[in-house]
Order: sequence, then structure tokens, then C-alpha cells
Amino acid sequence: MSWHGIKTIAALELRQRLRTSRWPIVFGIWVLLIAGISFLSYWATNDPDLQSGSAMYDIVVFFVLGLSMLIVPSLTATSVNGDREHGVLATLQTTLLTEWDIALGKLLSAWVVALAFLATALPFLAWAWAEGGVSGGRIVLSLFVLVLVLAVVCAIGLMFSTLTARPVSSAVLTYLTMGALVFGTTIGFGLSAFLVTQQEKQQVYGIPDTWWEQHQPPAFDPADPNLTPEQLEEIQKSQRQPTRADCTTFTRTSTVAHTERIWWMLPLNPFVVVADAAPSEARKDNGLYASGFTPMRWISAGVRAARNGPSDVHDECTGYIVNEPLQGSDEGVDDPFSKALDTAPVWPYGLAFLLVAGAGATVLAGSRLKTPIRRLPNGTRIA
Amino acid sequence: MSIEVQGVRRAFGDVLAVEDISLTAEPGEVTALIGPNGSGKTTLLLMLATLLVPDHGQIRVDGLDPVTQPTEVRAKIGWMPDGFGTWDALTVREVLLTIAAAYRIAPDQARTRADELLHTVHLDDLADRRARVLSRGQKQRLGLARALINDPSVLLLDEPASGLDPRSRIELRDVLRGLAAEGKTVLVSSHILTELQEVADRAVIVARGRSLETQSLDAGFIATATASWRIDSLDPERLATWLEERHVPATKVGGGLTEVEVAGEENAARLLADLVGDGIRVIAFAPSQGALESAYLAATEDRR
Repeated sequence: MSWHGIKTIAALELRQRLRTSRWPIVFGIWVLLIAGISFLSYWATNDPDLQSGSAMYDIVVFFVLGLSMLIVPSLTATSVNGDREHGVLATLQTTLLTEWDIALGKLLSAWVVALAFLATALPFLAWAWAEGGVSGGRIVLSLFVLVLVLAVVCAIGLMFSTLTARPVSSAVLTYLTMGALVFGTTIGFGLSAFLVTQQEKQQVYGIPDTWWEQHQPPAFDPADPNLTPEQLEEIQKSQRQPTRADCTTFTRTSTVAHTERIWWMLPLNPFVVVADAAPSEARKDNGLYASGFTPMRWISAGVRAARNGPSDVHDECTGYIVNEPLQGSDEGVDDPFSKALDTAPVWPYGLAFLLVAGAGATVLAGSRLKTPIRRLPNGTRIA
Repeated sequence: MSIEVQGVRRAFGDVLAVEDISLTAEPGEVTALIGPNGSGKTTLLLMLATLLVPDHGQIRVDGLDPVTQPTEVRAKIGWMPDGFGTWDALTVREVLLTIAAAYRIAPDQARTRADELLHTVHLDDLADRRARVLSRGQKQRLGLARALINDPSVLLLDEPASGLDPRSRIELRDVLRGLAAEGKTVLVSSHILTELQEVADRAVIVARGRSLETQSLDAGFIATATASWRIDSLDPERLATWLEERHVPATKVGGGLTEVEVAGEENAARLLADLVGDGIRVIAFAPSQGALESAYLAATEDRR
């Protein structure tokens, strides 16, 4: 393996790709799509009182990731078995190039093309940044993760193209793998949730059942004019709503989902990795929390909450359940995601998994390109 | 610089492609590998080209083992596959330069070498055209140039003449002779026996994955090999009776011709003299096929 060898293969691949006329068209469509999405998300989220940058950024980054997961597999998924079909692989294998030169050269060229796609999306991310609400550090981190995820996607396509004889089957297998990573993990998490859901005793901080019993509507007619003062008091009491002061800690048997046992499925999803790497800050309306369309933030908070599992004391008091009479209208509503977002991130696990998978795929691809071949898979031709 | 193959065997699943092939190819000689379709020629060349591991047996290319020392062997060999593919988007010159880079030949040196080879195979005027536009024969010539780019001492050519026009074939023959004269080992598989007979020093006949015999193709072989001769006579009945009485194996072929098997040119001349001496009016007496063709047909006869 040598840089010279890798460069030779990468240059060969890139030159061929540049010369086939479809690529400018694909690039054009790609830019048009991203531009369209950026304009639409700008109009949808633009608000003079709110910084719309974070919503726009989330949409554009997810769109770039989704589209490149459709395009990038096609860069490598047919590269080795396609070369075999054209009878050009063996002519390289009989030269001084090693199998690693060929595997890494093909991977590098596909990655460069994937990065070119990503680079054309940069102006639109810069626009989102200019809209405000997105920090530069966040852009750098999510782009870094995106770049690595794209390399992994390339490596998986490359692996399948060395494993199957026909380009069609390797393309299908690569797309199935992408589907498994994106949808399979989410569906798997959702479906296996019932396995970890059970009835158990739980500490609850909230309004105990005894409070509701004491505040039952009385059994007499409130319209009756002959009510005693005690009865009137009882009616008044039943019309009262609980306040935070009524919250106590008590034990209750309830349905608890132990998502901390199955959360690991979620960060395998590239979308989760990218989202969790740099979730947006909460949207602020004049410095107050305002809900808004921030999908990366939701995904990030959701996955971290799933990882944290049910807390020791289930808090029903803070937040929505108890209608706290507003003491001063300046305080606003608590950010429901801040608690989960303050816990440790999950993306390092997901990224580590994806990188290990990508490295494994590359090693497998390299070993499948090794000649002389001892065992030849069915239907594979050498030259 | 020689090629030595000892009892090599290779199966693909249930299909036994090469059962037992042994051969030697010496430097300075052109060795022909001939045999029917599916006799294992291409598989043998793949093993020599360091692409396939033999199940059994031993291969030595210039004393090196292609299985354990593939890189060293690759530096010495030039392989031209059957049905050579090219990168269609590249120009003819770029194809050669890419291969040169893969052999770690310095760019300026590679440029000179590529121009030289393009001249040798008469593709200079197509050098800057896309490889896609080449005809089959031109692709074959590009394949030959590709195999020569690293100045190999051992050449493995799989059906190099297929798709070539008559002039290109003659030129290929000259190129091969020239390479052998430089002291290189040339192993060439082909079907076109009459041409091989002119270019090869030695022929290895393979059938059903086995090497049947190695035939030296020098003047002595031509003079002594059993060959078929065709006789045209104005007295066909008398000729048939004459041959029958003397137990000469003869068959009637189309156009009233009679074909006889004769061992060597000396015997053929004697037969003709006897025929004429006995008053049979012979108007044509000629070998029906080359000596190599006869040897090939005899060796692979059971296939019919």
C-alpha cells in the first residue's frame, strides 16, 4: 500500500467520473433541490421576532444527509463488480498495485465526490448561519460528523460491490443497509419498547390520589339554596385546582418503559448521530423559550431521554401537569427538553459504531480484492 | 526467465477447469498453447498471471512462485487477457499512462514508453481518442501495448490474434518474434494454428484440462510429422484399389479427392513417385493441413 498507488486509482476513478456527462446534471439537480429546500424553509420559519437560522440549518443539514445517502451509495456500490464486468479490474491487479491501493483509492475518490456534494450545500448553511441562532462551532461539529458519516456510507457500498457478482445486487444491498440504519433502528426501537415496558412500583413526585379524593365534588346538588356553610366550603374546595404546593412524593404502581435497555439502537442511525452532535439552542422569543421547528433538537433530546430511562422519581409536578398560576408573566414556560439535553450526548457511540463498521467494510473489501484468489465465489469472473 | 508448470490443477466448484497441466516455456522462444475451447488455457494463464491459486501443482515464473511472491512475479510479467477491457472514458494514451503509473514508472519515462509502444502497435494516430471508439482489433493491439508497458521478461498472451485483420496478424507475429529474439519468454494461446506454426518454436497441446504433448515446431518436425495429403486423380477407382492393396489409410473427401495419412515428407514423396510409376494419373498432390494442425487434431481426436 502506498500513497502513490492510492492516488493512481483515485485519479483514474475521478477522471472517469468527470468524463461521463451525467455528473454535471446530477450536480445541477442537487443544487436546485437544496436551494429550493433552503428558500422554502426560510419562508416557513422566518419570523421577525424569532431567529430562524436554527430551524433552517436543521432542515438543510437533514436534507443534505438524506439526499447524499441516496446518491453516495451509487458512487461505490458498483465500483468493483462493475470493473470486473468490464474486465478492467484484473488488469490493475496484475500490476504492482496492492489490493489496499485499489480499495482505498476507490474509497477516496467516492469520498471526494461526496464531499463535493457537501461543499455545494455550504452556501446554504452559511445563509442559515447568517440568519442567526446557529453557532459556528455547531456548524463545524455537525459538518465534521457528516463528513465521516459519508465516508462510512462510501465504505459500505464498496464492501457490497466486492461481495456480489452483479452491480444491481450490490446497489440493492447497500440501499437496504442504509434503510436498516435509518428506518430499521427507529422501527426496531419502537417495536422492542413493549419488551421493556412493565408494571412496577415507582416513586412519583406529584399530586397524590388522596388529594383528588379529598377534593371530590360533593354528593349534593350545588344549586340547592339550603346548603350549610360546610357544604358550601366543600363545593369551593372541589373547584380548586392543585398547585405546586400540593405536590408530594409517593409510591405508585404504573407502566414504566425502560428505554435505557434499548436506547443503543437509536444512535446507530446516521440522522441521530448528526442531530445529536450539535443540537440547536432553544429558539428564543425576546429571550424567552419559544417552541419552534427544531427537529435536530427534538431528536437529540428524545434519544438522550431514552438513554436516561425513567428517572428514580417521576416528576409530574414540574412542567405541564400542574397548572402553576403565573407569578409574573415575564418568566415564561420552561424548556421541556433542557433536562435531557443537559445529560451526556449519545453521538460518540453512534459515530464510533459507524466508524468501526466503515473500517470493517473497507478491510473486508480489501481482502476480497486480494490476488491470487484461492476461493472464487459463484458467478464471479476474474478477468 | 522461464516458465515452469508442474502438474497444475484448478477447479471452480464442481467444474474442473485444469486437471493436470505441465509445460515449460524457455526464454528466447515463443511457446504456443493450443487446445479446444474450454480446455483450460485461460485458467492456466490466470494462474500464471498471479490471479488464481492452483489447487495442486507448482508454478515457477523465472524461479519465483506466483502464489507466495506475487509482487515479484508481477514486475516481470506482461499479461494480455482474452477479451481485454479498457476504461472507455480515457484516451488510448491515458490508458497506457495509468497502467504505467500502476507499475510505478516515472511520468516522463512513462510518456516516452507509451509513445514508443503506440508506434509499435500502430495506434499513434488514435492516441488521443477515447478508448471507447476503438474497434475490437484495435483494442487487442492496445491490450498488447498495455502488456508490454513494464518491459516484461515473460509475456502471457491469451488469444492475442482474435479480431485482428490480416496485416495486424502478420505484424503481431513480427512483434512476438522480435520479443523472443530479445530473450523474453513468450507464451501465447491461440486457435489459429497455421499462424502459430509460423511463429511458435514449440506447441503445447491441451485438452480437457490436461497437457497432452509438447511438440517442437522446428524443420525436423515438419519433415517427419504425420500429415494428411490430398490426391486428385483422373482415375479415382484405380487409385482407391491401389491404396487398398497397399494398406494405405485413405478416406474419400468432397470433390472426388482422396485423403491419405502419411508420416513425413520423405514418405509422401515416395508415395507420389509410386503412384505415378504405376500409371495412375495424378493431377494434384498437396498437404491438406499443416503439420501442427494434424498433430492438434490427432491429439484432440477423442473430443469428437
